[in-house]
Amino acid sequence: MIAEIARRLAFLPVTLFVVATLVFLALRALPGSTVDMLASSFSTAGLRDQLIAQLGLDQPLWKQYLIYVGDLVRGDLGRSFITGRDVATMVGETLPVTIELAVASLVVMMVVGLGMGLAAAARPGSLLDGALRFVAMTLFALPWFWFGILMIVVFSLWLGWLPAFGRLPSSVTYEPVTNFVLIDAILTGRPELIGPWLAHLTLPALTVGLTTAGMLMRLARAGVIETARLDFVRSARMKGVPPGRVFFRHVLRNAALGILTVIGLQFGAMLGGSVVAEVVFGYPGIGRMMVDAVLTRDYAVAQGAALVLAVLYVLVNLVTDLAYRWADPRLRREPGR
Amino acid sequence: MADSAGQKIAAGGVASLRLSAGVALAALPWLVAAIFVLAALLAPWLAPHDPVAGRAAPMQQMFSDGHLLGTDALGRDTLSRLLFGLRPMLVVSLGAVALALAAGGAYGLVSGTAGGRTDWAMMRAVDILMSFPLILAAILVLAALGPSLFNVTLAVAVSQLPIFARLARALAAGEAARDYVLAARAAGFSELHVMLREVAPNIARPLLVQATSVVALAALTAAALSYLGLGVRPPAPDLGYMVKEGQELLFIAPEQALLPGLLIAVFALAVSFCGDQLADVERRGGGA
Repeated sequence: MIAEIARRLAFLPVTLFVVATLVFLALRALPGSTVDMLASSFSTAGLRDQLIAQLGLDQPLWKQYLIYVGDLVRGDLGRSFITGRDVATMVGETLPVTIELAVASLVVMMVVGLGMGLAAAARPGSLLDGALRFVAMTLFALPWFWFGILMIVVFSLWLGWLPAFGRLPSSVTYEPVTNFVLIDAILTGRPELIGPWLAHLTLPALTVGLTTAGMLMRLARAGVIETARLDFVRSARMKGVPPGRVFFRHVLRNAALGILTVIGLQFGAMLGGSVVAEVVFGYPGIGRMMVDAVLTRDYAVAQGAALVLAVLYVLVNLVTDLAYRWADPRLRREPGR
Repeated sequence: MADSAGQKIAAGGVASLRLSAGVALAALPWLVAAIFVLAALLAPWLAPHDPVAGRAAPMQQMFSDGHLLGTDALGRDTLSRLLFGLRPMLVVSLGAVALALAAGGAYGLVSGTAGGRTDWAMMRAVDILMSFPLILAAILVLAALGPSLFNVTLAVAVSQLPIFARLARALAAGEAARDYVLAARAAGFSELHVMLREVAPNIARPLLVQATSVVALAALTAAALSYLGLGVRPPAPDLGYMVKEGQELLFIAPEQALLPGLLIAVFALAVSFCGDQLADVERRGGGA
């Protein structure tokens, strides 16, 4: 097990390096590169050349790449082409927002997805099972952005229950310390921040959580049904163990591992996927920052955001995988390779 | 409660449901999908107005004269735009899946049949592609290439490539270990022959089933990219982008944002059910 962790951790820098290189290549080396994009937005040639030189884009590609990697190693993500702000600082402001949203979405997904999956698996083939499977399928087929707008129409426009835009109302003054509202509210002793923060978080989190719950429902259902088929479950039943106990102690316990892995993987996907919800709800997270940067051709920002999201995704997947191996004794003694 | 679970699974939940509800229910998703394709093909004849030409006139509400579903802020007929907007959705989702199936399938076929170090190296490359969340990979491709119908197709295909590469690899590796492949190799057939004439025909079916079940995902990804402004260039009608344009009018005419999204959802739901049915058949029939 320790060898496995060491091996995975040793491989991590390699993965991160390749990810960084891919991001660099995608944004600078392909046709329609930064220079051409920038060139089209500046009318006078002199101004354009000056800017390109300033950004180091006149250097040969290999030299740009070395500078990029050197900066990365020192934790420097460069500056925004447009505002001139430090990208690392911008990431520090927007990443916590996205993590908040991803965690909240995860909670929604788990409650709804697991609840539906277990209820359906308890009596496969029943009417309830059929109905829940239909609901899960529908949730999966909903376009996230559209579902978000539907929520805005229903809960903000018609019912007027929840705010539809932003992270906090503009009437509230918020001086960030960690940029996590909940932590800051506790640290600075401002519990009045929590209410409006949660109100703004609800619709985006429901949007992402519910649309991903369909997938979890199907996998949880399948996992439980698969486990219920195994011999030890039949033995337990024949011994006369009460059905409820068989379900919770025997079936669920063994199905839980697979389900947990799925949840971990989904969390990684949520980090990337909250991009859309952030745009719909004007939520100031890193995904929205990246899309805005792509649209305005602010490549330093897009590059930094993509890199951070990809790295986070890799890390979450690694932790999930290791946790899975640790939790399942059968995998602990697996020979290396 | 749970003690009858085993028998009920054996009976097959889906199968019993389908038998009782009849063939009509099973045919419904195929019918819906067919209607979408037909409507897209016949859009020029079905659409009452030009989808792109606007009029300097006040916005029309739903059910107004000559505009069944009203007009958008630029005076363009919403019904016509919806009909023409089906086209990019179908072209991108079907095109992307076909591309991903061809490229990923070929990649996995080579990797799985070859085995050994080649296989290992090829699969690590796929792992790296998987280290990006799908939509992020698609956004990066579009950021690099610029938005256009073809580039969206390419971006969605790239995001789905790993699915097919992995499945094809697993299937091919399984086939490659079988006696008939050994026999073909022993008979002196080239590796290319073994791949294309022996292994490929035997892994094609599950790959095609998988392709059907990811069409919905492709349509949703493409729609999301359009919504983000990375898809088809305006003024060309596109369902995802129409939702974005409609969002500006949410307070006056919410249907302008809700209708195009509803079409995407119905299409995605229909093809999901189609894919599910095929997967069920494959699971029961092709159990070998």
